[in-house]
Amino acid sequence: MSAQPANATVIRATDVCKAFDSGRLRTQVLDRLSLTIDAGELTLISGPSGCGKSTLLAILSGLQKVDAGHVSALDSELGQLSLSELERFRLLHTGFVFQGFNLFPALTAAEQVELPLTHLGLSTHDARKRAVQSLEEVGLGHRMRLRPAELSGGEKQRVAIARALAKQPQLLFADEPTSALDAANGQTIIDLLHRIAHNHGTAVLCVSHDPRLVAHADRVLTMEDGRILSDRRRDAATEKTSS
Amino acid sequence: MVALARKTLVYEWRRFLPAIIAVGFAGLLQLLQLALVLGIFGATSIYITGSDGEVWIGYPGTQSVGSGRSIDANVEARVLMDPAVARVESYLWVDGDWRGAGETGGVSVFVSGIDPAANGLLFAKVLSPALRTRLAEPDAVIVDRADLDKLGVQLGKTATINGHRVRVVGVSHGLRGLGGINVITSLDTARRLDADDADIGPTYLVAELRNPAAAEAVAQRLQGDPAFGPYTAWSSADFARRSVRYWLFDTGAGAGVLFLAGIVFLVGAVITSQTLVGAVNGSAREYATLNALGVGVSALRKVVLEQAFWVGALGLVGAVVLGALLLVFARSQDVPVVLGPASAGACIVLVLGQAAVSGMAAMRSLRRIDPATLLR
Repeated sequence: MSAQPANATVIRATDVCKAFDSGRLRTQVLDRLSLTIDAGELTLISGPSGCGKSTLLAILSGLQKVDAGHVSALDSELGQLSLSELERFRLLHTGFVFQGFNLFPALTAAEQVELPLTHLGLSTHDARKRAVQSLEEVGLGHRMRLRPAELSGGEKQRVAIARALAKQPQLLFADEPTSALDAANGQTIIDLLHRIAHNHGTAVLCVSHDPRLVAHADRVLTMEDGRILSDRRRDAATEKTSS
Repeated sequence: MVALARKTLVYEWRRFLPAIIAVGFAGLLQLLQLALVLGIFGATSIYITGSDGEVWIGYPGTQSVGSGRSIDANVEARVLMDPAVARVESYLWVDGDWRGAGETGGVSVFVSGIDPAANGLLFAKVLSPALRTRLAEPDAVIVDRADLDKLGVQLGKTATINGHRVRVVGVSHGLRGLGGINVITSLDTARRLDADDADIGPTYLVAELRNPAAAEAVAQRLQGDPAFGPYTAWSSADFARRSVRYWLFDTGAGAGVLFLAGIVFLVGAVITSQTLVGAVNGSAREYATLNALGVGVSALRKVVLEQAFWVGALGLVGAVVLGALLLVFARSQDVPVVLGPASAGACIVLVLGQAAVSGMAAMRSLRRIDPATLLR
């Protein structure tokens, strides 16, 4: 992993616009939105349903293109990358954790984590080693031979986090990672994400409306109607509001 | 490398079973159909493939063995003049109307008049020397054991052909024909049974060569000498192909078979591809997650293709095992089935081709996979 210095800006979005057509109706989801995301922080995007936070996550992670504006991540202009270049960018630099755990039923926990690693060009031996490390880091060292059907919801989400973590990404995106989990499991996941940001210097960008997450985030962005209403940092205790 | 395709196939075998069965049965149908067609239509050239001799001489333009016309008896002298020819035998084909003792009505038979010598060329591979020498007895005939019921006769009993009395002196195996029942008799008996005054000589002459490999060249050399009336020569392999091809393609039977093969291929491919599409859709979110993590669509396509390959291979194994059992059973019941390495290979290619086509169709459904849909 090429570690970023803490607080270095790794994603910069400028005047981003995105609209969706449904029939004759055109909905402006993101409206001239600008922000920066820093390394080594757990940044939380919260806001009511439909405020555009998941769309923002998709755009910042290179899963969707913008209508207008620019997104640069780790010095790559995402809008100028082809589909295969975007895949390559995601392979090398990003990890994802989704609300649904999306694990292959046929694979053991270790195999789930190994699978993307082999596509990174790692040897079978190295991939296995890294998978074991990641699973141990999320506290599943003793469960790595089990298939998803034999794991609890919280354990499945930890496998999904290990799968993202094993790639040693600079950017980790999480979409509602706790909403399918009970309080205790949710807490474990939050702690894990927080630890990953601090120990690995990873920029962790998390979309959630789970209030438990707010207390643990280093920075909380509140969105409404495609704009950022507030941007608060826990440590700086400074609050600025952008329109 | 994590063997995602294989592990999924093993773990979710119930999901893939319909495709494996579809491929297997489609393969089995193709296999048996081909074996039956080759067996049935191969019977149209049993006169050639069951005989020794490398060159056949007959009336020009003859399309199959059963549609020959008589040639001048003197052609035999012309053929014997060729230094490559070791010996020549006459073959007389007579269409007959069989009346048995049993209640069978009239039965259409193809009478083959051959030289009953123990070392005769015609039907040498089907008749034992001991059996064929029995034909030297006047009015003696040999029939296939599977035809006895149809002819309403038993070994040693008599019947009539074209009004002449004949006696069954032997039964053989592998003589069944297509379109009529084969009856073997001596040339002398066949001439007595021949009701057509226009037949002035043998229907065919069959030549044995000193060097069997020279068949094509000798056949070429012997073609058409106007001094002996109309006749032409084929190598036996060429004439056998000609007969089979005539039945396959000029009678409409072959077109029907090809049509059926196409339908079987299509139905198998549709079922297989639908099952694979279902498997892809069932794992759509997992595939999309892999794509979000940067695993390219081309790598995901390989997973689907590999699954299609395994489905094809497993189906094929089932088809081969079941097919072999059924072919052995068919043989034991005198059903004409023939399957050589070439036709078996063609079936294997067809089955794997079907799996490949299905896999490619299923790969198209990967296009709909969009990791952005995982975010909500």
